Amino acid sequence: MKILVCIKQVPDMASRFKVNGNGVWYDEVDLAFRMNEYDEFAVEQAVQVKEQSGSEPDITVLSIGPDRVIEPIKKALAMGCDRGVHLRDEASYKKDPWQIAFTIAGFCRDKKFDLIFTGMQSQDRGSAQVGVILAELLGIACVTTVVGFAIDNRAITAKRELEGGIKSVVKFSLPALITCQLGLNTPRYPTLPNIMKAKKKELLVFPVADFLQEKEMTGTGSAYTPARKGSGIILEGDVNEMAGRLLGILKDKTAVIK
Amino acid sequence: MKALLICEYREGTLLDSSYELVAFADKLGAERAMVLIGSEAALPRVNGKLYLADVARYGEYNPELHKQIVLEAVKRENPDTIVFVHSSYGWDLAPRVAAALKAGQISEITGINEGKFEVGLCNAKLRRTVVSRTEKTVLTIQAGAFNFTGDAQGSPQVEKLELKDALPALEFAGYEPALKTEVDLSRAEVIVSVGRGVGKKENIPIIAALAKALGGQLGASRPVVDAGWLEHSRQVGITGQTVAPKLYVACGISGAIQHLSGMRNSEFVVAINKDKDAPIGEVADVMVVADVMQFVPALIAMLS
Amino acid sequence: MEVTREIYWNIGRGVALPMYGIFALAAFVFLYGFYRRFAVYRQGKALNRFDSLGTRISFLLKNVFAQMRVLRQPGPGFSHAFFFWSFGILFIGTLLVMAQVDFTQPVLGLAFLKGTFYKMFSLALDVAGFISLLALGVLLVRRFILKPEGLETVGDDYVIHALLFAILVTGFIAEGVRMAATELRTDPALALFSPVGMLIGKLFITMTSENLSSVHKMLWWAHFLMAMSFIAIIPFTKLRHIFITSANYLFVDLAPKGSLATINLEDEGITQFGAAKIADLTWKDIFDADACTSCKRCQDRCPAYATGKPLSPMKIVKQIGDTAFLNPGADLPEAIGADALWACTTCRACQETCPAAVEHVNKIIEMRRNLTLMEGLFPGDEARTAANNIEVNGNPFGFAFAERGKWAVGLDVKIMQQDSDVDVLYFVGCYASFDKRNRDIARSFVKICNAANIRVGILGKEEKCCGEPVRKMGNEYLYQTMAVANIEVIKGYGVKKIVTTCPHCFNTLGRDYRDLGLELTVEHTSTFVAGLISANRLRLKPEPFEFTYHDSCYLGRYRDIISEPRAVLKAAGGQIMEMEQSGYGSFCCGAGGGRILAEEKTGTRINMARVKMAAATHAPLLVSNCPFCLTMIEDGIKTSDLEGKLKALDLTEIVAARIGG
Repeated sequence: MKILVCIKQVPDMASRFKVNGNGVWYDEVDLAFRMNEYDEFAVEQAVQVKEQSGSEPDITVLSIGPDRVIEPIKKALAMGCDRGVHLRDEASYKKDPWQIAFTIAGFCRDKKFDLIFTGMQSQDRGSAQVGVILAELLGIACVTTVVGFAIDNRAITAKRELEGGIKSVVKFSLPALITCQLGLNTPRYPTLPNIMKAKKKELLVFPVADFLQEKEMTGTGSAYTPARKGSGIILEGDVNEMAGRLLGILKDKTAVIK
Repeated sequence: MKALLICEYREGTLLDSSYELVAFADKLGAERAMVLIGSEAALPRVNGKLYLADVARYGEYNPELHKQIVLEAVKRENPDTIVFVHSSYGWDLAPRVAAALKAGQISEITGINEGKFEVGLCNAKLRRTVVSRTEKTVLTIQAGAFNFTGDAQGSPQVEKLELKDALPALEFAGYEPALKTEVDLSRAEVIVSVGRGVGKKENIPIIAALAKALGGQLGASRPVVDAGWLEHSRQVGITGQTVAPKLYVACGISGAIQHLSGMRNSEFVVAINKDKDAPIGEVADVMVVADVMQFVPALIAMLS
Repeated sequence: MEVTREIYWNIGRGVALPMYGIFALAAFVFLYGFYRRFAVYRQGKALNRFDSLGTRISFLLKNVFAQMRVLRQPGPGFSHAFFFWSFGILFIGTLLVMAQVDFTQPVLGLAFLKGTFYKMFSLALDVAGFISLLALGVLLVRRFILKPEGLETVGDDYVIHALLFAILVTGFIAEGVRMAATELRTDPALALFSPVGMLIGKLFITMTSENLSSVHKMLWWAHFLMAMSFIAIIPFTKLRHIFITSANYLFVDLAPKGSLATINLEDEGITQFGAAKIADLTWKDIFDADACTSCKRCQDRCPAYATGKPLSPMKIVKQIGDTAFLNPGADLPEAIGADALWACTTCRACQETCPAAVEHVNKIIEMRRNLTLMEGLFPGDEARTAANNIEVNGNPFGFAFAERGKWAVGLDVKIMQQDSDVDVLYFVGCYASFDKRNRDIARSFVKICNAANIRVGILGKEEKCCGEPVRKMGNEYLYQTMAVANIEVIKGYGVKKIVTTCPHCFNTLGRDYRDLGLELTVEHTSTFVAGLISANRLRLKPEPFEFTYHDSCYLGRYRDIISEPRAVLKAAGGQIMEMEQSGYGSFCCGAGGGRILAEEKTGTRINMARVKMAAATHAPLLVSNCPFCLTMIEDGIKTSDLEGKLKALDLTEIVAARIGG
C-alpha cells in the first residue's frame, strides 16, 4: 500500500502577527514555525495504518514551501514516514488552494497512492480546500473532518465530526483521501532513535515549477489588522480594582447584575 | 449578480443556517436561487426558486452525488456564485463543486469589506480580502456571520432535480448521537466558559462558582473538553454548541475561530486572559488582562 | 615476672593447624562469595572511578573510620559508630594476639602482650566488648521492639544480630571461665584490668578445674566457629556492607554535584539511550545496591515518599540490585514502575544524607531517559505539551518567543542584539521572562544592578529555555537543542560573566553547559548580591523584618550556597526564624526534576507540606531564591488557606526594596 501525507508548515498561533511588506500576507519576522496542528493527526494516522499492517505500507510525506519546511518534514519522518518530498517554493504563500492542490496532484500523477492523509485545514489560511480539490483532481474518494478511522484491507470506516458533537459514520474503499480533524488520535512524540533514523531517510527535492502549471483562481486583495470592536474596553492592573470596575460596567450595560 | 445557495438538511430537518445564506445573498444584493437535497416537508420559508433533490434517494451525506446535483442546478441556473455555509457539510462539498467548475473558492467569509470578501488569517488575528479571478466563484460563509433578520413567511418555487445515473461512491452508515446530557447551553442567558488558561482541572470549580454567582451555566472551549476536564456537552464552538446569551464570560480562552463562531452572537462579552492580544479580544466588549485564577476569585468575592 | 596471659591456655598450641585450616576455609568462602558478586557488578557498563586516588582514600578514611556520614543521624548513628569502633578494637586485639603467638614470638622471640601494655590491652578489649554489647542491644531494641516505620527487617537481620550477640557473649564467658581458672586465683589485681571478664569469672569461681576446662574449651571453639561463620557469611548477607559500603566511599563521584552524562548525539552507534535494562546501567549502579544497607535515611527525607507518591529511593536502589542478581534481563521501568520514576524531584536529599554514598538521582534520570528518548513517554499530557512548546517557542508556556524580552521595556537594561557592551549578561529564564509574578524578580534584579552601577544586558528574544526541566525529565535531545542554541548566541556576544536569578539556569549554564563548550563565570543572584555588598558597590538601608528561609535544593544541596543568602538577608535587616528542615536538610518545594512542567496526581502536595513547615515557624514571611520555589510556595499558601498569614518574597525583591544608605 502506498500512502501519502500532505503537511504544511505554519507559524505558531501564539505569535503576534503583522502584515508583510507586500500587504497581502503576514510578515515572517519573529515567527516560530511548526507543523500545522491538523497535519500532525494526519501523520500519526498514516503511521498507525502502517504499524497495523505489519509495516508493509510505504509512507511519503510531502510539503510545499521554502527550505524551512524541511523541519516539519523531518518531524514527520521521525514519527514514522518513510520518505520526504520537498516541493521547493520560496513564495508558496502566494499560491492559492487550487494551485497547491494542482501541484500536489502533478506529483501524484504517476505514483498511484492508495491512501492520502491531509489536515482538514491549515491554521494560517484555513481554506479547507486543498485536500478535497486534490482528491477531485485525482478522481478518488474523499471524506473530510475525520475523527475516527479504521481500515480493513481496502475497506475504510470513518467517522466525521459534525456540529453539535454528532458524528456520522461513512464507509468507502481505497483509493481515498482523508482530511483529519483534531482529536482523531494522539500524535506520538518522536523517539530519539527515530529522530536519528529520519536523518538518513530519503528526502527528494523538486522545484515547484516542475508540477505547477496553473494560474491562481483567487487572489488576495489586501491583508490588514482588524479594527478593534468599538466598545472594546481593556482593564489592566489590580485584580480587585478591575473586579469592581467590571461589575460597574455589567450593571450599566447588561441586565444581568442587579 | 446571481447566487445559488446550497441549503443543508440533516436528520429530517432543514438546518437554520440555510437562512444565513439568504441573509448573505441579500447583503450582496444578489438574485438568488436555492438548492436542497432534502424533502418537501422541510423547505426553507423564503420566496424564490428552489431546486429540490430527494434526500431519500441521494442520502444526507453523499458528496459525489450531491456535487452532481449542485452542478446540474448550476447548469440550469447559471449563477455567478455558488454559496455554502462553512459547515461540515459545506466545507466538504464546496471544493468538489469548485474543482469541477474550475472556479475559485473563497472560504469562511466573515464579512464584506468595500465590496470584497473578508476572511480571517492566522486565527483571525489578521484579516484579508480575497478576490476571485474566475467567471464563477464558490463561496462559503462563516456560520453565524450573516444573520437572517427577515420573516421566514415565504414559500419557494420548487423545481425537482434528478440525476440520470446515481452511483454512490460511498456508503453513509448513519449518525452517532452526541453523548446525552442535562446541559443545554443554547437557552442559557449567562454563560461563563473556561479555557486552557484556567491551568488545570482542579481550578475549574472556581469558574463554575463564578457561573453560579452570575446565575449562569458553565461552558468550555475545545481544548478543555479534549483534555477530559469537562464533558462535551459544555463545549461552545463550531463542533459544540452555538450560544447566544445575554452575557458571555470567557475565562482563559484565547479565542480560536472555532470557538468564536459558537459565541459571537452573545450580547455582551467579557474576556479574562493574561494575553492582551488574544483573539478573543476581537469580540470582547470588556477585556480583563489578568490571570484567570487571580481575577475570578476576586470577582466572586465582590459579587457576594 | 611481667604480667601476661598464656595464649591458647587450655586449648593448646596444636590448635593452630585446625584453626588456620578452618580459617582458610572461611576465607575461601568469603572470597568466593565476593567473586560471585563481582561478576554481577560487571553486567553494568564501565565507569572510571579510580582516578584521584588520594582524594578517594581520604574520603574513605573519613567515612569508614570517623563514621562521619553515619553519625549525621545521632540515634542509630551513635550506636552504629560505637559498635563499629568497639568491634574494630576487638578485631585488632585478636590480630595482635595472632601476630604474637604465630609470628613474632616463634620467629622473632618477641612477645609484646605483657606488662603495662598488656594491662591496657586487656582493659581496652573488655571495655570495647562491653560497649559492643551495649550498642548492639540498642540497635536490637530499635529494630525489633521500637520498629521505626519504613525500616524493613529481613532474615539476615535475625541471623546477624543473633550471631554477633553470641560471639560477644561467648567471648566474655570464655574469658570469665578462663579468669576463674587463672587470674582470679593467682593474680586478682590483674583481673581488674578485665572488669567484665572478672565479673563473669566470679560466677564460675566454685567450678572445678576440670569443669572449667571443658566449659572453656566448648566456649572457645563455639566462639571461634561462630567467628569463622561470621567471616564466611559476610558476602552472602547484609554484612557485606562492611566491605562494599566502605569501598563505595572510594568510588564516589568527584564531578561537581548534579553532573549528568552528556550523551553524544552525533554518535550513530548508540542504539539505546538511557537505561531499560541492567546492562544499560554502570557497574557502580549495581554496586550501589550492595552498598545500600537499607537504613531508609533517604526514604525518610524524600519529599515524594513523604507525600504518598510511589517513590522510595531506597526501594529503587534495592530493585536494581534484585534485578541484577535475580533477573538481569528484565525490563527495569516495568520492575520499578514509571510513576515512581516520574515522581522524583531530583532534590538530592537522598544522596546528601546517604551514609553509604549511594547515588540515587542519576539512576532515576537514566531510566527517565529511556522512557522519554526510547518510548516518547511523559509523566502526563501537560508535560508533553510543555516540551512541544519549548521546542517551538523556547518556553514551556507556549508564549511567542518574540515576547521574551518585553518585561524589560522601559527599564535600564540592554538588549544584547542592540548593544552588547555590558558587564554582566542576565540570563533571565522562562519564568522571570513570562510569568507575571516572577517578572517582579527580574525587575528587582535590574534595579539592584542599576544601583550598583553594573551594566546589565539580556538576550531577550534570542534567549531560549536553558533546557534543564526537560533534561531532568530525560529528554536529552531537546535539552541539547536548546543548550546549543543558547551557547551559540552567548559565545557570539563574547560574554564573560552570566548572572541568573534561577538556580536551575545557574546549575545548567554553570556546570552542564561546560560539556557543550560554554566555559565562563556563572553566578546566582544570592552570591552576586553578597559580592556587591562586600565590595561596597551596593549599599542597603536595612529595614527590620522577621522571616523564615527556604533553601532551594539547587542552591543549597547542589551548590552549597547556604550561608550567603542568609548573610544578605541579615544585612537587609532580616531576623531569621529557621525551619527545622533547612540548609542541607531543606525540604523540596516539589518543582525540581522537571516536575514544574507536570501535575502532581497522587498523594498530597509537596508544596503544601513545605508551606506548612514554614507556617509552623510563625514567621510572617517566607523568603526563597528561585522562581520555581516562589511559584510553588505561593500556590501552596493559597491552597493551604494561609493567605494573609504567610507571604512569600524572593531575596532579590527584599534587597531591591532596601537599596540606599
